Amino acid sequence: MAIRPEEITNIIKEKIERFDAQADISEVGTVIQVGDGIARVHGLSNVKASELVDFGNGVKGMAMNLEYDNVGCVLMGADHLVHEGGTVKRTGEVISIPVGADMIGRVVDPLGNALDGKGEIKTDKNMPLDIVAPGIIDRQPVKQPLQTGIKAIDAMVPIGKGQRELIIGDRQTGKTAIAVDAIINQKNIPESERCICIYVAVGQKQSTVAQVVKTLTDFGAMDYTVVVSATASDPASLLYIAPYAGCAIGEYFMWQGKDVLIVYDDLSKHAQAYRQMSLLLRRPPGREAYPGDVFYLHSRLLERACKLSKENGGGSLTALPIIETQANDVSAYIPTNVISITDGQIYLESSLFLSGIKPAINVGLSVSRVGGSAQRKSMRKVAGTLRIDLSQYQELAGFAQFGSELDKESQRQIARGKRMTELLKQDQYSPLKVGEEVLVLYAGVHGYLDGIEVTDVLAYEKQLLAYARAERADVLDELNTSNELTKELEEKVVALLDAFKSVFKAGK
Amino acid sequence: MNSSDRIALQRYAAAYDGLSVTNEEAALRAADLRAAEQALASAGEYMTSPRVSLLQKKEAVRDALKTAPQTAAFIELLLDAKRYSLLPAITRQVEELLNGRLNIIRAEVYSARELSAEQKKKTEEALSARYGGKAEASFHTDPNLLGGLKIWCRGELVDGSLQGQLAKLREELTK
Repeated sequence: MAIRPEEITNIIKEKIERFDAQADISEVGTVIQVGDGIARVHGLSNVKASELVDFGNGVKGMAMNLEYDNVGCVLMGADHLVHEGGTVKRTGEVISIPVGADMIGRVVDPLGNALDGKGEIKTDKNMPLDIVAPGIIDRQPVKQPLQTGIKAIDAMVPIGKGQRELIIGDRQTGKTAIAVDAIINQKNIPESERCICIYVAVGQKQSTVAQVVKTLTDFGAMDYTVVVSATASDPASLLYIAPYAGCAIGEYFMWQGKDVLIVYDDLSKHAQAYRQMSLLLRRPPGREAYPGDVFYLHSRLLERACKLSKENGGGSLTALPIIETQANDVSAYIPTNVISITDGQIYLESSLFLSGIKPAINVGLSVSRVGGSAQRKSMRKVAGTLRIDLSQYQELAGFAQFGSELDKESQRQIARGKRMTELLKQDQYSPLKVGEEVLVLYAGVHGYLDGIEVTDVLAYEKQLLAYARAERADVLDELNTSNELTKELEEKVVALLDAFKSVFKAGK
Repeated sequence: MNSSDRIALQRYAAAYDGLSVTNEEAALRAADLRAAEQALASAGEYMTSPRVSLLQKKEAVRDALKTAPQTAAFIELLLDAKRYSLLPAITRQVEELLNGRLNIIRAEVYSARELSAEQKKKTEEALSARYGGKAEASFHTDPNLLGGLKIWCRGELVDGSLQGQLAKLREELTK
């Protein structure tokens, strides 16, 4: 629709009529030094920590260091617009972000400005970025499963709604892929149980973020997803607040009783941005030059993931933080910090990735500290011994490499382990529904694959799923919906698998 | 000026001001220091040049400040401590401490045109009422304001100028 000229004139008129011509009284200070995204301000004697201050020219800042005779502020915009001797105004507000249902499907920066060119975001509520996490009384234990659609994760490191599960690994091991798959999989889940997803990109390349947004759009996942982006070219202050901004957007939905899944990609860059700010603010450096409160930086963020009690609406916020390690070193400062904060980790290894095991999850080192109680009973029944079986297989496989003679039982275990490892491989962007996962794993665990060549396992899975979808959709539906694997249902599954034996064509 | 200089100057100023017990004494000492600073500033490079020895500089200070021996001693102390360059800032700080003693509020008032005596008086009265205390304003003109007043006082900026309001309106319209 074309813009009518009188419309604009009217708006302007109205704005001028409503304009408050009162004298502005504001507490002001003077910039004494500016550079590297940091400004030192003289005056502002009443300013509070984390208060938003206005440097003029549209540049805002945050008061970080309150010192004897000056205030150290980080700038949220271009520092060339701020000059020595310029005035700085207090705003009396802490930094906040607009939140609301209108945010869904949008790409925003950490201050809530749209980055996707789809116009203004209309919201009527603002939430402060940095709030204290809900207390014990406000919560209930994590007990509902959050399906990621990835067989290996849902079976062995199950994630519950309200949990914090770290995804850790070297570069190029598929960390983001797991998170994106988990988001895409929400499409498979009925709308009543579906999570609203928030993807927070911290310090990544713009091209990478664009790629993720494109993928999510292509799979129809942007219908329930918000992307918060602070890329590598943004000032460190924006990278620092990005995860808190994403969390605030998520909390809005959580307090409405909805389930939220939030991905922080990644917190190593977040810690680096905070280190940059801290060093420039002349805070004393500690281990690896990170400031002393870098643990608190992440713990206060991840503590905000929770499952609210029934009285509070029962919403949840599940966090999937991502940490990038260097040369598989999980004992570096930031990885150990975040491992100790989260409720478990999914550990990805480049050697597995390169040997073709994708997702490259190291089963032995990946754990979920609450997930077990949040797993579906049917899945728990099927995958109960999977972890132990696989780690026993790996141990035996190590022996077998020396060429020693093995007894029959061990050979059987190795054969089973090989097939299970093969079965747990999964392509990117192809998350499975929970029923499909249960069916496939049931076949593996109960020896239906034992008579099949290892190279045919993936073909078996593919054909089995196609067969079940076409011929026995009723069984799949029941597996998808029912929590338990009852005797009757198990019989149906067995009948399905037996019937499929004759249909399966190896080598295709 | 770096942070440690700012802290140091406040300590020196507090020490100098602390010599006086009564407000009258403090006012006299502040006036002495102001006069001394002006007198020494007129000496030009003599006081800062490295070619003049410390002894000669001290001699010059004692000569110039015969009537105020304590002020002379204070400046000699600054010379010894290599803080002489802070003297102008210390003088300003001492005056601020004096203002605090006398409950005087300093304000900088900017207007587009020169204000009449009546207007100046009213401005000061308004400031006294707002901040509690006796307001002493220094008045400046800045044609860029177009109209109205812009007042700096006690770390606050009261912007009632036409320039400020137009800027605010522009911000509102372009939002």
